[in-house]
Amino acid sequence: MGDGQELQLKVVGERSSSILAPFSSFSVLFYHQFLIQNLIRKDIRGKYSNSFLGYIWTVLEPALLSAVYYFLFIMIADDPDPLYAVWVIIGVIIWTCFGKCLQSTVTCLTRNASTIHLVYLPRLIFAYASVGSTIWITFMSSIVLLPLLIAYDLQISWQLIFVPIAILIAAFNAVGLGLLLAPINCVNRDIEHTIRFIVRAGFFLSPVMWTWEMAIERGWASEVVIWNPMVFPITLARDGFLGKLTEFPINGIMISMTWGIAMWVIGTIVFNKYERSAVKYL
Amino acid sequence: MKEVSILVEEVSLSFPKKKSILNIFSRSKSEDFLALENISFSVKKGEVIGIIGRNGCGKSTLLRVIAGIFSPDMGQCKSSGKISLLAGLGTGFTGHLTGRQNALLYGSILGHNEKLMKKLMPEIVSFSELESFIDEPLRTYSAGMKARLGLAVASALNPEILLIDEVLGVGDPVFKEKSKAKILEMVADAGTVVLVSHSFGLMTSICDRVIHMNEGKIMFEGNSKEAIASYYESEERRN
Repeated sequence: MGDGQELQLKVVGERSSSILAPFSSFSVLFYHQFLIQNLIRKDIRGKYSNSFLGYIWTVLEPALLSAVYYFLFIMIADDPDPLYAVWVIIGVIIWTCFGKCLQSTVTCLTRNASTIHLVYLPRLIFAYASVGSTIWITFMSSIVLLPLLIAYDLQISWQLIFVPIAILIAAFNAVGLGLLLAPINCVNRDIEHTIRFIVRAGFFLSPVMWTWEMAIERGWASEVVIWNPMVFPITLARDGFLGKLTEFPINGIMISMTWGIAMWVIGTIVFNKYERSAVKYL
Repeated sequence: MKEVSILVEEVSLSFPKKKSILNIFSRSKSEDFLALENISFSVKKGEVIGIIGRNGCGKSTLLRVIAGIFSPDMGQCKSSGKISLLAGLGTGFTGHLTGRQNALLYGSILGHNEKLMKKLMPEIVSFSELESFIDEPLRTYSAGMKARLGLAVASALNPEILLIDEVLGVGDPVFKEKSKAKILEMVADAGTVVLVSHSFGLMTSICDRVIHMNEGKIMFEGNSKEAIASYYESEERRN
């Protein structure tokens, strides 16, 4: 009898093995989909509560920013590409998505400290919920591109689907690094300040205010910037807007995808292994 | 013999004191604060166990180890069945969502699915007595109203193992009575209960056994009257 009783007892908080963490994270997300939905809704409602314009801000913000950059650019260069403002808008939208996903994943444990102390949940949920709300807000922002298509007399083509795909790639590229750093950020908040700096600096090092084509014109520059995993999604979205398949070199695509997948695997494993010791620091 | 539903085996847990980026990867314990030291006990199915002790003695940490929030540095904790921790009612409440949305969010944090929450909603609304406020934003609620909503959601669940950390005594006297009755009802329904409280009267009336903790160690385990006596004795020694 004694053995039968013992068998029912399960070790509290037993986790799956580290190597399998990337796979088990799918089942965690599927099982908790109702909670993730609610957390995303909370995030989005919270962001625009108490504001008269509400969701319009998602479109207004990139539009206003681009107007400023456009003005700056025609002051510096005499003869800008007529579509330059659009390139900046797309760059801003995609880069902001990457930056916000990265920052919210890095801070996912520290921001939710009070919930973590009271309920046991797979903490991965907090990371993916904040990424989900960022993706949703970015999709809303990209609506600004539709009136621009008409303004520039461009056709609505099926290639426009590459804009949301690029947004998803940008978000995915951020998740791995974010998950990797989130447990370390519990111990030492220097991480989140460093990430904030990286997101700001990366804005200029990524093709937000410049384009892949400009880099090619410089020759050597294209060989350097191809190593930046964010060049591919931004270029993909811009070409999609023009209604063409991207001509971005295949090795650049490989670099971007390899970065995303490798970081996601490493990040998930590290997060799974260290979040438990990390929450004691909260 | 009844089956065991919670088994705590030689659990030790320490919290890092000094924040260093290297500590997370290394095992050095020089600067750590030992919150639980070699704790072992078991709770049988259907038993109600109380834990008493002065503030900071590790009672809440112990409940959190059983709930799986903190994983012990040494030893392990086993359990059978779904565990719920009632603590800090209203976790994750946000001001700009309505009472109903907050209840849904809180319910999903506590692990309910959508279907169950929709089904429980009328019960939650009527228990919290917030019928006319439930679709107003939470920032318009008073502190007592928030606590009522929190307790209503938390008590709508039906766990096999219930861990309670000082949640009694919210709201006005009438609601306080109501919430006490509700918790007693939950205690009666739940298979197994571990209760942390400073209310010794309640302890003596409902607990089968009481554990007295001091500085992360179990000082006494057994009859509630003797445990309370052990508590006062150790307090006197301290003075």
